[in-house]
Amino acid sequence: MDNQTVNNVVDADAESEDISESFLCCICLDLLYKPIVLSCGHISCFWCVHKSMSIIYKSHCPICRHTYNHFPSICLMLHLLLSKINPIAYKRREKQILEEEKTMGSFSPQFDSHSCQPLLDHMGNSAQSFTIVNESTSEGGIHENNGTTIPVQSSGGTVAIMEKNSPKNKLNGNRKQIAVTDVLCSACKQLLIHPVALNCGHVYCETCIIKQTDEKIRCQICLCLNPKGCPKVCLELDRLLEEQFSKEYALRKDAIQPNKVQSNHESATTCSMEAGKLGFNASFLSTGEQLPMWADPRSKIYFGVGCDYCGMYPIIGDRYKCKDCMEAVGFDLCGDCYNTRSKLPGRFNQKHTQEHKLELVKPIVIHNVMRGLMTGQLEDGSSALILANDIFAPVSDDVQPQENTSNTDNIIEENESEPAS
Amino acid sequence: MIDFSRVQKELQECSRDMEASGIKVTPVSDNLVNLSGTIPGPIGTPYEGGIFKIDITLPDGYPFEPPKMHFVTKVWHPNVSSQSGAICLDILKDQWSPALTLKTALLSVQALLSAPEPDDPQDAVVAQQYLRDYQTFLGTARYWTETFAKTSSLGVEEKVQKLVEMGFPEALVRSSLEAVGGDENLALEKLCSG
Repeated sequence: MDNQTVNNVVDADAESEDISESFLCCICLDLLYKPIVLSCGHISCFWCVHKSMSIIYKSHCPICRHTYNHFPSICLMLHLLLSKINPIAYKRREKQILEEEKTMGSFSPQFDSHSCQPLLDHMGNSAQSFTIVNESTSEGGIHENNGTTIPVQSSGGTVAIMEKNSPKNKLNGNRKQIAVTDVLCSACKQLLIHPVALNCGHVYCETCIIKQTDEKIRCQICLCLNPKGCPKVCLELDRLLEEQFSKEYALRKDAIQPNKVQSNHESATTCSMEAGKLGFNASFLSTGEQLPMWADPRSKIYFGVGCDYCGMYPIIGDRYKCKDCMEAVGFDLCGDCYNTRSKLPGRFNQKHTQEHKLELVKPIVIHNVMRGLMTGQLEDGSSALILANDIFAPVSDDVQPQENTSNTDNIIEENESEPAS
Repeated sequence: MIDFSRVQKELQECSRDMEASGIKVTPVSDNLVNLSGTIPGPIGTPYEGGIFKIDITLPDGYPFEPPKMHFVTKVWHPNVSSQSGAICLDILKDQWSPALTLKTALLSVQALLSAPEPDDPQDAVVAQQYLRDYQTFLGTARYWTETFAKTSSLGVEEKVQKLVEMGFPEALVRSSLEAVGGDENLALEKLCSG
């Protein structure tokens, strides 16, 4: 490692561009790249968040230790903002991360820098559903199934997420300037105020998200459910908005004041609910509070494997693995996402398509062993070792959810019926 | 794989506000895996006036795994082993967060010096003394600071002479001093241990 080079790069960068302290990643201490906003409102880079997540248990925000279970998607709006505010440094980061990714062999979602349109990742589908939402009259894009709303792929859906950006981006001359159109709320289409980012990476005003909340927060753009209650305001972004658009910001602030008073109370209650009554994983969240999750007989955990749709990491419950994705990271879905047929491209730029087949994966046997040791049900170490060889063994090609439960029950019974030595 | 560009940035940041914090981190080798940190003893404690040297080794997973730290300078403290210098501090173990840095970790170690936790000891003997006979503890801690943590103003030749006077052969004294980087206390320890 050539330290001199690193120094030079950093210095050169510092000379040409002033990177705001608030957009330095707390982990790599460099300019945020492909930023992710956690549910507590703190921002970090895509890889920094992923690497800091626990593979076996709940993850904690590096700054405030707020617990979370889902790997959020990249906040595309912040991504575009940063590339405009610090174009040179952002380019450098892009190159640097790409090199790292090449050595690692796994890639973050790639975006086309010219049209700012995401390529081949699940945000690409968000873009399509955005068109669907806007032109709700066309082809009835939303399909109801088992009470869950899912976006249906529309054939000509190639409109960029922030369509209002596209004319601006052609003017490459003045990229440093950011416009109000870059920072609009996904719901009210006005300047964001007290912005919150959902797990899917889309940004809303705090008041807009609370208004639409009846039980679960669902992103209006990609229709993803947001796990675990209401996210907190991203203060760094809020500060930027207030600085950059002080006039508009003040106007918006005055306009929402009456609503705010009313909603303040609501937001306080939703955010404080640690166990996440609103989240769709309420069952394990509440049980996991006292005991490690692998001690809970009902839970099956896939250590180090994340759901490529909702981001749950590690996957708890059923795991479906793609048989056709050749990437080292693989492509996996949790039971919920599999059942809602969310066959979308992966979070690591995998080339997953609708045609790919998914298979149910047996739970990790070590989990049962650990539980056995924990509860004293399994004391025979030798049999545990033999069983451990079957980790990740696929069950069968096309499995129905019903079969899956019976399969895993068998495994548990096998373990538990063994006589203790 | 250690994030070396981050380590570089940490070192720059550290040297930038060394005046204010008094905390110093310097690389021991070129590879940035082994570093050496120093913290001043907190004012108003028996460690006041001492400069404590801490050996830092970065694990492969840094900053996602905590850095390994132990005192090189001998310290009399309930949460530091008086033998090995091992530190009992949660943020260097399971409470580590990648947002912490070498500087903040060293600051925490410094804070640990001013706020011992005798109920969660690393050195049971020291902890016992701390709980049962606080005055003796203070005395020992102060004595250890005086003896081991005060930077010696002696030149190399004086150190050699001092150690030779203790009865060690000069060649051995010189090689020992060199091996520990010129610290006469460490050299003495090395000589005594054989």
